Amino acid sequence: MHKMNMYNRDNRLRVTEIQRFCMHDGPGIRTTVFLKGCPLRCAWCHNPETQKATAELLFEERRCIGCGACREACAYGVHGGIDRHEIDRQKCRACGACADVCPTHALTLCGKEMSLEEILAEIERDRAFYGENGGVTLSGGEPFLQGRAAIELLRLCRQRGVHTAVETCGYFDEQLLADAVSVTDLFLWDVKDTDGERHRRYTGVSNERILQNLSRADAFGAKIRLRCILVAGVNTDAEHYRRIASLANSLSHLDGVDLIPYHAYGGSKATLLGLADNGRRDWIPTEEQIAEAREMIGR
Amino acid sequence: MEFYAVNGKKRPIRLCDATRRFAYESLNRKYGLDTLEHRAVDLDGVEGYESMTMLERYDVAIETIVREARIRICENEKLSGAATFGAAIRHGVPARYQGQTICMSISHLTVDFETVLKKGIHHIRKNAEQSLEAHRGTDREPFLKSCLKCLDAFDVWHGRYLDALRDRPEYRANYENLKNVPHKPATNFYEAVQSLWFTFAFLRLCGNWPGIGRIDYLLGDYLKKDLADGRLTLDEAREILAHFFIKGCEWINGKYIGSGDAQHYQNILLCGVDEDGNEVTNEVTYLVLDILEELGISDFPTSVRVNRNTDETLLRRVAEVMRYGGGVLAVYNEELVIDALLRDGYELREARKFANDGCWEVQIPGKTFFTYYPFDSLRLLQQKTLRAYDGTVDFADFESLYRNYIAEIRGEVERIFQSQQKYFEKIGDSPKDWKWVEQIPCTVVSLFEEGCIEKGASYQEGGPVYNLKSPHIGGLADTVNSLYAVKKLVYEEKKLSLRELCEILKKDWEGEEQLRQSVLNRYSYYGNDNDEIDAIAARLLSDFADICVSFNDKCGYRFPAGVSTFGRQIEWAPHRGATPYGRRAGEVLAANCSPTPGTDTNGATAIIRSYCKADLTKLASGAALDIRLLPSSVEGEDGLQALVGLMRGFVLLGGFFMQPDVADAAVLREAQERPEDYRTLSVRVSGWNARFVTLNKEWQDMVIAQNEHV
Ligand code: SF4
Ligand code: SF4
Repeated sequence: MHKMNMYNRDNRLRVTEIQRFCMHDGPGIRTTVFLKGCPLRCAWCHNPETQKATAELLFEERRCIGCGACREACAYGVHGGIDRHEIDRQKCRACGACADVCPTHALTLCGKEMSLEEILAEIERDRAFYGENGGVTLSGGEPFLQGRAAIELLRLCRQRGVHTAVETCGYFDEQLLADAVSVTDLFLWDVKDTDGERHRRYTGVSNERILQNLSRADAFGAKIRLRCILVAGVNTDAEHYRRIASLANSLSHLDGVDLIPYHAYGGSKATLLGLADNGRRDWIPTEEQIAEAREMIGR
Repeated sequence: MEFYAVNGKKRPIRLCDATRRFAYESLNRKYGLDTLEHRAVDLDGVEGYESMTMLERYDVAIETIVREARIRICENEKLSGAATFGAAIRHGVPARYQGQTICMSISHLTVDFETVLKKGIHHIRKNAEQSLEAHRGTDREPFLKSCLKCLDAFDVWHGRYLDALRDRPEYRANYENLKNVPHKPATNFYEAVQSLWFTFAFLRLCGNWPGIGRIDYLLGDYLKKDLADGRLTLDEAREILAHFFIKGCEWINGKYIGSGDAQHYQNILLCGVDEDGNEVTNEVTYLVLDILEELGISDFPTSVRVNRNTDETLLRRVAEVMRYGGGVLAVYNEELVIDALLRDGYELREARKFANDGCWEVQIPGKTFFTYYPFDSLRLLQQKTLRAYDGTVDFADFESLYRNYIAEIRGEVERIFQSQQKYFEKIGDSPKDWKWVEQIPCTVVSLFEEGCIEKGASYQEGGPVYNLKSPHIGGLADTVNSLYAVKKLVYEEKKLSLRELCEILKKDWEGEEQLRQSVLNRYSYYGNDNDEIDAIAARLLSDFADICVSFNDKCGYRFPAGVSTFGRQIEWAPHRGATPYGRRAGEVLAANCSPTPGTDTNGATAIIRSYCKADLTKLASGAALDIRLLPSSVEGEDGLQALVGLMRGFVLLGGFFMQPDVADAAVLREAQERPEDYRTLSVRVSGWNARFVTLNKEWQDMVIAQNEHV
């Protein structure tokens, strides 16, 4: 299991983005730190740039003015094409040299390593706005994929009186659990599907470990808000809702259940990685489906 | 009867059907349109008009206005008195001689309603009579006589309302109240509200645009007493107070007039401490919030004085009302404002009384003469320091450039100061030997400003206790961004010389797209919490404030510094050249203390932090920050907490005044297309609100542009 922690040294984290003034990643005003790398491969992933654990080059074609600065900056001949900007991703070493010179931010390097001090300095900036409720949320990707350093960051936040939340897919090394719970004020715990077979089909992994970790986290006293994505035609069935409801009932420190209706915007983010837009309109649940889910889950 | 809500949520219903209908019809122009036909009284037939003094002409105008004004009694109204002349809506005394409005009226003040409520008009008359006796035979006599004439006029107009209401049983309460007030002190809540409204309506009838001030402070004790005595229930009180707000939207005619029709500076302040430092917040505070929440009336731009100890319940309530949109609620950081006033020389008990001028500039109500002098700092930078890019200027380093620029700012403030000399006449050799020169008459507002009657001097002739002319710097973000880009490009990274940059700017960045994009995107500008650039903003504001203060007390005025553009950046933009931070000539400029649209990418907290890094206690007139929020971002319990957090952070970090507006650019565009469906949609323009559909296209586009980038 230890290999899941191999991506970083203990005092550094690979960050895709730090977003301030987030209002829907937990209570109050929050600074959300998105960490890179995720063990799941959800078909509906909204943040595909956080999946891979290593740094990646993002390219937003719409912003490119064709100035050619990137071509000059790259030592590996990645940028080519005459009429249209082409990127040979195979050759890219993710060194970031091209992104550094791109005048429009059409190119960005996603997943820079930052020291915990650097991240804390960013988090501190909005301290005046956190009050008693707000604080920091680690998200991703799967924050605990960078386990020890993520936990250390949470510990330091706690020490400074900043409320801590973690948005997790639940799929992580169970040996981290006790420590994770001890430094996390609130878990936003994804339960993508309660059907094991479907879970494997749509996310690439079984939900067994996720549910096991969930109940163990609960046993450790973790405060948990369940987050359930609703994907029309995939998990919009009564059986799933019933199981969510009973899961919710089984937790002794439940903070609520958030339903997250699938939306198609995340799909276009895949194009930044040179992949096809994976957004699917037919997955967007209708108002009625959302209402029904809310009704049946009863929270 | 739907009252528009930006977030699509149903507004709660607490008021009775009749009141709601009254509100709905008023918002839909039932009462204001006739002001288009009855614009002003005609003085052509007045005998000897030509040979009268200005003051005599004014008195005749007021006498004629009160005699000829149409009496308007709205169906079911609980409060009576209405300003019914169209010219007043356009900021003039509604009287004409040979087709010309005889003079401008007064705005940007909040008068002393407290004396009216507690002591009554009779008391004011007594003061005027005494002062006249004391000033017999002096040059103060004509003004004091004018005061008495205007009070007579007040009585005439009041009498006409009594006549109109006397035999109408359905308005019995209105009649009974008006028999006592505003002449005698109000004895209960209903009378107090009627007294306030009637006096306010009289001021407006004569063309003036006063603010209301601290309504919960003014009315709270009356309500407390009535509740304790069992005279009134909270629900009844809410109905009465709702009529006050509804009457405030009849003064519109729904016409497109540039900056919109709801901007008549009827500002209201809620909460905060009284003179002794005790919190004012009371039942009236919550009733006002209830009414704003239910009816969404935006005609009284309302601000809340928030401090570190402000109750969580109150802040949540404020946030709840904010979420319906319309920009009806803004926030002052009370402690900072009081500190700024102390620094500017006010006594603590005096500073604690602060309200605003009918816009957001801070003043002590009922005691202050105020006007402001706006100027565009970007114009000075482009046209003076950089000589509009003729390529002749060069500076050895950034510091010399900055100093040159500050000298230009000093020159501008000096010009403002010099322009005041016309208000004074020298009567001796020492700099202190001067007296006020006669000004356009304004007796009606002078009646309600402490100092005027006592001194026998009008509002514009040094009557009030405090006389302020506030230089207001505009274009802050645009200037600071420009300075920063020059500093980086020319003096730090040395990518090109100042002359080369000027050459490029002169050509409006033509053929330099790569450089332009790089400047635009690779530097982090004002509003992104970048300490380096924010330090330039802080320094500029501090230097500007020092310059203003240096002119204090060299004449009858003080010169408190302020930051504003209100909507002027629309007029400025077409005259501005390309900017060093990558914008082309004529592009949209920043409003007030807000970032240039499109340059801020880190969200509201970063904007607030950038703004708060300046020492805002040096800006005694005020510095407004507009914050735009999407309805979806403040939804639910999380969103509510976020709004509360935003206000708390704003206070902790030392902000001055913040106008959060929950709006959606897409909705605004739709309203532009189909105005008839969005008549009650209001927006915070800049210090005031307007019904969006009454703004002209340019203003609408500006508001949309400001909401585009959230
Ligand atoms: S990140 Fe480095 S290797 Fe990859 S394209 Fe850019 S410059 Fe070339
Ligand atoms: S540097 Fe950026 S803008 Fe220029 S060609 Fe490369 S991607 Fe396009």
